[in-house]
Amino acid sequence: MTEIGTGLRNAAARTEPDAGREAAVAELFEIHHLPLVRLAVLLGADDAEDVVAEAFYQLYRRWPRLHSPEAAATYLRSVVVNLTRMRIRHLQVVRKHAARTGDERAHVASGEERAVLRDDQKALVDAVRALPARQREALVLRFWLDLRESEIADAMGITAGSVKVHVSRGMAALSRTLEERR
Amino acid sequence: MTTPGTDERLREAFGALAAGVRADPDAYRRVSAGWRRRYRRRRLVLAILAAVVFAAADAVGLWALSQADPNTHVIFSDPDYRPVAPEQVDRIGQP
Repeated sequence: MTEIGTGLRNAAARTEPDAGREAAVAELFEIHHLPLVRLAVLLGADDAEDVVAEAFYQLYRRWPRLHSPEAAATYLRSVVVNLTRMRIRHLQVVRKHAARTGDERAHVASGEERAVLRDDQKALVDAVRALPARQREALVLRFWLDLRESEIADAMGITAGSVKVHVSRGMAALSRTLEERR
Repeated sequence: MTTPGTDERLREAFGALAAGVRADPDAYRRVSAGWRRRYRRRRLVLAILAAVVFAAADAVGLWALSQADPNTHVIFSDPDYRPVAPEQVDRIGQP
């Protein structure tokens, strides 16, 4: 955490418009790229690196309008969550269309990453992926990133009360799935 | 409703899945080149768009002016205007 704080303070210290932005975004990329790719994978993105690259482009473009460099991490997280949700929705539409036109191809979900999981973990991850997008996001942000409800609410663009509802419904659905497997 | 230990199992599963994710070490160079190109293109498109809008507004203004009748005077629009001889000018009150 102190590394991140130092990085952000260094990023804030640079004030030249373009060079400052380049350096600050490069530093943020160094710190946040891998965690954000992991976040996108956990949220179910097929093209996690593209999602994160797009998030960094949005940050680069809107850098002058950013309140403070400290807000960059929150902004990136929020963009990754929203973009992943949009991509998944888009893929669902594409697959539905492909199924209707008979052009359906089997979807292989990130086999390389899943190879390291035990069977029970695979079942749990599959159960999480089967949850509605909002519940999945709330669970990943809560149990992987260990964010507070207010931070999850910021990232998802909803209220803290809705976060509670999504987490509890998601956990209930997961528990039901795990019970059924026994 | 929550099975005891589901939280922990969930954390473990997320951790294990995340640990298997590797990012391209050369990602920054590739990605930053892409976003700089997109940013430059976006600014170019915006500049062209602004120039087109400005030129269109100019063209419309010039067209509207060229449509006006050169014989119609906006300021002196008196239809009975006749030139007045110097001796007919009312001199009362003049210094």
